Amino acid sequence: MKKAHSSDLRRLRVSALTQWLNMLGIYALLLALFLAGMCISPKFATPENLLNVLRNVTLLGIVALGVAFITYSRHYVDLSIPSMMALSGFVAITALPLGFVPSLLCGLLAGIVVGAINGYMIGYWRVNPIIWTLAMVFMLDGILRWAYGGNQIYPDNGTPAGAAFLQLSQIVVFKFLPLPTLLLLVLVVVMHWLMKHTRFGAQVQLTGSANEVARLSGVPVARVVWLTFILSAFTTALAGILLTSMNKQGTFETGQGYDFNSVTAVVLGGISLAGGRGKLLGVLGGVLVIGVLLNLMTLLGLGSFLQLVVKGLVFIVVVGLTSWFGRRSGRSNV
Amino acid sequence: MASTSSELSPALRMSHISKRFPGTLAVNDVTFSVTAGEVHALVGENGAGKSTLMKILSGAFSDYSGEISIAGKGVILHTPAQAKALGIEMIHQELSLAPPVSIAENLLAGCLPARRGIINRGALLAEARRWLAEVGLAHLDPDVAVEELSQHEAQLVEIAKALSNKPSILVMDEPTSALSRDEVDRLFAIVRQLRARGLAIIYISHHLSEIMQIADRVTVLRDGRLIDTLTISAVTAARLVELMVGRKVEERAAGRARQPGEMRFRVERFTRTGFFHDINLEIRAGEVLGLAGLTGAGRTELGRSLCGIDPRDGGRIFLDGREIASHSLRAAMRHGLAYLSEDRKLDGLALLLTAQQNLLAAYNAKARHYAAGAAARTLFTDLAGRLHLYPAEPNREVNQFSGGNQQKLLFGKWLATAPTVCLLDEPTRGVDVGAKQVIHEAILALADAGACVLLISDDLPELVNLSDRIYVMRRGRIVRELPAGCTEEAVLMAANGEVS
Repeated sequence: MKKAHSSDLRRLRVSALTQWLNMLGIYALLLALFLAGMCISPKFATPENLLNVLRNVTLLGIVALGVAFITYSRHYVDLSIPSMMALSGFVAITALPLGFVPSLLCGLLAGIVVGAINGYMIGYWRVNPIIWTLAMVFMLDGILRWAYGGNQIYPDNGTPAGAAFLQLSQIVVFKFLPLPTLLLLVLVVVMHWLMKHTRFGAQVQLTGSANEVARLSGVPVARVVWLTFILSAFTTALAGILLTSMNKQGTFETGQGYDFNSVTAVVLGGISLAGGRGKLLGVLGGVLVIGVLLNLMTLLGLGSFLQLVVKGLVFIVVVGLTSWFGRRSGRSNV
Repeated sequence: MASTSSELSPALRMSHISKRFPGTLAVNDVTFSVTAGEVHALVGENGAGKSTLMKILSGAFSDYSGEISIAGKGVILHTPAQAKALGIEMIHQELSLAPPVSIAENLLAGCLPARRGIINRGALLAEARRWLAEVGLAHLDPDVAVEELSQHEAQLVEIAKALSNKPSILVMDEPTSALSRDEVDRLFAIVRQLRARGLAIIYISHHLSEIMQIADRVTVLRDGRLIDTLTISAVTAARLVELMVGRKVEERAAGRARQPGEMRFRVERFTRTGFFHDINLEIRAGEVLGLAGLTGAGRTELGRSLCGIDPRDGGRIFLDGREIASHSLRAAMRHGLAYLSEDRKLDGLALLLTAQQNLLAAYNAKARHYAAGAAARTLFTDLAGRLHLYPAEPNREVNQFSGGNQQKLLFGKWLATAPTVCLLDEPTRGVDVGAKQVIHEAILALADAGACVLLISDDLPELVNLSDRIYVMRRGRIVRELPAGCTEEAVLMAANGEVS
């Protein structure tokens, strides 16, 4: 703190640069990728392809919006996201005999309970978030496999509730907008509002950027962290249910990759791993960049293995750049 | 206004306060009181007990003895929450603000104005503006992030934050350490306003000139004891220095009749913007060069840059006539530089590793060195013997040793690398007399063997006794050179920027 302030000029310049990069940067990058796409393939800029891009990253976007709060609170990520998605799918299908709406509620509740446990341990007991949620992955996987005897399960198309569940992800609003994408857009607005205009959002930022300061100022730090994990679990469970509906089955692999992809989108969107910095609109940009990037690689005929490498590289470059800027500006660990 | 203290019941009275730490009585039967509408300065050398006394006041300890009363009512201060609830606010040297968060939200972090969870932006900003105006920052936009502010403004925001809790007693601990002359004047104008409004202000500073300027009364502590409380008009800076230093028994180190040899280590125009500027210094073989200065003068920062831990913005380093061009700790170590960090617990020792692992950590990190097995044990035994390490158990965890023996281990860690230039930052901070003696002897032995020693220390007797020459740093520059045998008073006056 003391050191950071003493090199004021340089610091201001760097922070202006990073802010510019954070907000405009991600959309400038999106534009660049877009132009590149138009050069690469005539198929890229067609409405069908673009809608396809959007559809492909919709669920990632929903998950990332929740994860953003965890990152914002300086707790990095919830690694149990894939298992949580699988769990909510399994639970929703299992609860279908109770009716369509109760099944959705059960699915959401299952995810939220797991998020509440994670948040409780990490917020109140101050357990390391990476280690705890990693342990949760194994717990949930084990429980699911044990409870369902290692089998996949399918919603019964013959019942009205089952049919409605399968139909859920296929609904198109206004003749072109898939329901999940509409949900994403609504969530962007709501979550942005939550982060910037509510007491909860302000408290998450304080907690994330200076935990001890927040605590000594009377912010209920443990409860704030607990709530961010619950919030993230809610969006994760929602995405899990939608994905299960899309796949027409509940499997243990549902949600695979969403942990790393979501935190990549969050960091790419400018939310600092050091907490307390960034905007949710940036996260939407990060999600779209990932979508376009994956789409371009598919159009170029890069295999999925190479795509994994590229995703890893993107993450490394982004985290590397922000740490470098942070060190230059005298912040200890950004 | 200070003279009325006897008529009013004081805002704060601490009577017969003592606090014992393992091995020392940090505060010993101190009685002191502050009246409303008074700036009361607290002075003393490092380790005199100022910060312990203030920690008691902030509720950091539950095991002090003595009585505290606020506005005439006896109180118990066992937790920080109790202290806050009784209207005691502290402003620390390190700011307690969240950098990326807006001024407004920082100011009102504990009680954000909101209805059903939704922040009332208008009320938040208006409330923040009100508190900012209190400290003369009405021109600032409270929506701006704290990290956009200058150090001076951030300091004032910190004060505004403390004021928003409506305190009756405000403790300011070295509030000017990072401020320029102008900014100090502006800060003082605010402090005077607060005093006029009836706050009781306790002001801690090493800068005696500031104390003469702002305080109404001053209390001097030494070795945990109350020396005197004086009205500021009845005292001079020179008299305060005398009281702070006291008439100590001089334990002069024996055999200081050494003749320094050839010029070995030379630093030219060394600069790190914002920390220190244009530092030139030379150390001969076998010479101990003392570096004195107040907190924030830039000595630690200089030491860290010299050995390549922190960056430098300009300047050159020569050893035996050849330039050390590459700037990194490893390069510095290759040339025989060693830097003993001032905080053994933070970055000096790996507390959970064993004594031997720590002792050999720097040695084994150097190129072409690696001691394991029997060789390592021999090295350990040798170093432990030279430093009288107790207990001399190689496999004991470092945090199982006393403070003094931990400090010996830290010293031994660098001694093991056989340094030619040794930068020692507070080599005896917080250790007992015995360990201090051992370390002093080791420093002199190192110099006698032909090494250059740069000794950074706030411990004036140590600095005066061990050094062949003393440079005094002030606000990032070397302002004075004093010869061996100068008095502690002379050092302190120079560090305060006074001509003695």
